[in-house]
Parts: sequence; C-alpha cells; structure tokens
Amino acid sequence: MTEQEIAAKEKQPVEGQEKTRAGRFFLPQVDIYEFGDSIKLWADMAGVKESDVNITLKDGVLTITGTVSTNVYEKLSPLYTEYNVGNYFRQFELNEDIDDQRIAALMKNGVLELTLPKGERAQPRQIEVKAG
Amino acid sequence: MALLRFSPEFDPVSNLLTLQAELERYLRNPAIRLGVSGPGDFPPVNIFDDGDGIVVIAEIPGMDPASLNVSGQSHTLTIKGERKREKVGESAGYHRRERPFGEFSRSVQLPDELDLDRTTANYEAGMLTIRVPKAESAKPRQITVKAA
Repeated sequence: MTEQEIAAKEKQPVEGQEKTRAGRFFLPQVDIYEFGDSIKLWADMAGVKESDVNITLKDGVLTITGTVSTNVYEKLSPLYTEYNVGNYFRQFELNEDIDDQRIAALMKNGVLELTLPKGERAQPRQIEVKAG
Repeated sequence: MALLRFSPEFDPVSNLLTLQAELERYLRNPAIRLGVSGPGDFPPVNIFDDGDGIVVIAEIPGMDPASLNVSGQSHTLTIKGERKREKVGESAGYHRRERPFGEFSRSVQLPDELDLDRTTANYEAGMLTIRVPKAESAKPRQITVKAA
C-alpha cells in the first residue's frame, strides 16, 4: 500500500538545443533559495558522480551539466521501466551580481549543492539616515 | 460516472486498448488505493534481468544510506525511507521548489521466488541497486531420463 505525499515526476527532456554529444539530456529538478548574501541551488542528478559534473558561469548564465555512465546497463535486459537514463543539462540566467571567484559546489549522493555568493553590489545595504 | 465507455462501432483492438486504459486509470485512482504501484510512485524503479536474477535500480538522490530500508518477503521487495529537505532557515525566500520530499514506501512484485539471503543493496550517487539472485528452486533443472 502506498500512502505517501511524495510523488515521482517524469523527467523532462532538454528541448530546443542542438548537442554535439550523443545521448539524451534531461532537466534536473532544482530548488533555488535566496539568502541575504548568497543564492543556493540544489539539483537532483541521480547517477552523476562528483567527477562528472561541470558548472560554468559566463555572461550571467549559469550552466550545469552532469554525465551519467551507462556501463552498468550493458549486461542487463529490461523487464519493466519507469524512468529514462540520460545526462543532465540546465541553464539559468542570473539577475544578481555573483562573485564568481567564491562559488562553491558540492556533489553528494546524486545531489548538487551550489552556493553562489552575491557580489558587493548585490548585497543589501543599510543606509543610515542622518538628522539634518 | 460510467466506469467503461463503449463505442458503437465494433473495433476489437481499439476496444481492448480502451478497456485496458480505463482499467489502469481506475486502479490508479488515488481515491480508491488498491495498492497498485506504478509510474508516478516514488521512487521510480527500473527492473532488469541480468541472467542470474533480478536487478532493481531506483533513483533516490540525496538520501543518507543508513535511513534507506530495503526488505523482502516471498515475491515482494519493499523500499522505505524519508527524503528530507535541506535546512534553509525561515529567512530564505525561494525561486524554485521542484524537488520532491517526504516519506515513501514502495513495494514491487518480482516474477521469481527471491533468495533473500543472497540479496544485496548498494547505494551510490543517488542510485539504489538491489540485486536479487533467483532461488535455487526457481532455476531450471535438468531431469535425467533413465532407461528402465
């Protein structure tokens, strides 16, 4: 019996982009939170090891790519399948000024955690009002 | 609500497919909950045959391996756990919240008798791989024919 609030979402393929590499690409599901001094992003990329993630930030566009090894499936014949296996690709345009020297990325159990510290200009600043 | 719809024209194939689709829809209706697990349930699973047994691969990123519970009985394999959201504090605002969280319990029915003593489960990079060898009694056996 499955009595649960959690549901699996079908993987969405990446559309409208021509790839030079073979293989299917899917959009990883993400959570993006904004803090006073940084933006944090978590992306679900099951099957991607820390050595197979590539993150770039160029001209305000953040690109996340994760490659999945399909070697495991070579000797297996499918009986029943619910999800597709493929690489991950997603891009975000960042409106905030990000200090790209201090971006930190951590990959653990198939989840990418990205910390994007805001640059000096993007941080909230308190302006002191003086009495005249 | 009519459970089944019949078209006036007789088309056996189309009718069968429609019947199948209607039945599937009925069985998966969350209001009825007959306990049928299928696409859309968490975690999604793929099931393979590797020659010596069954391999179940589930995508469950972001779990602490110690909190994943895998159990089996006869033909049923059950995966249980809870996927917890990262702690962000109340001051944070969010732009996207797409990732699923919560408790889950998913059972799959396997075609052969399981050999639970030799079943292994491995969690790596968010993928849970369960290998279930066929029980000796489920393997094909050669029977010698003796001359009388």
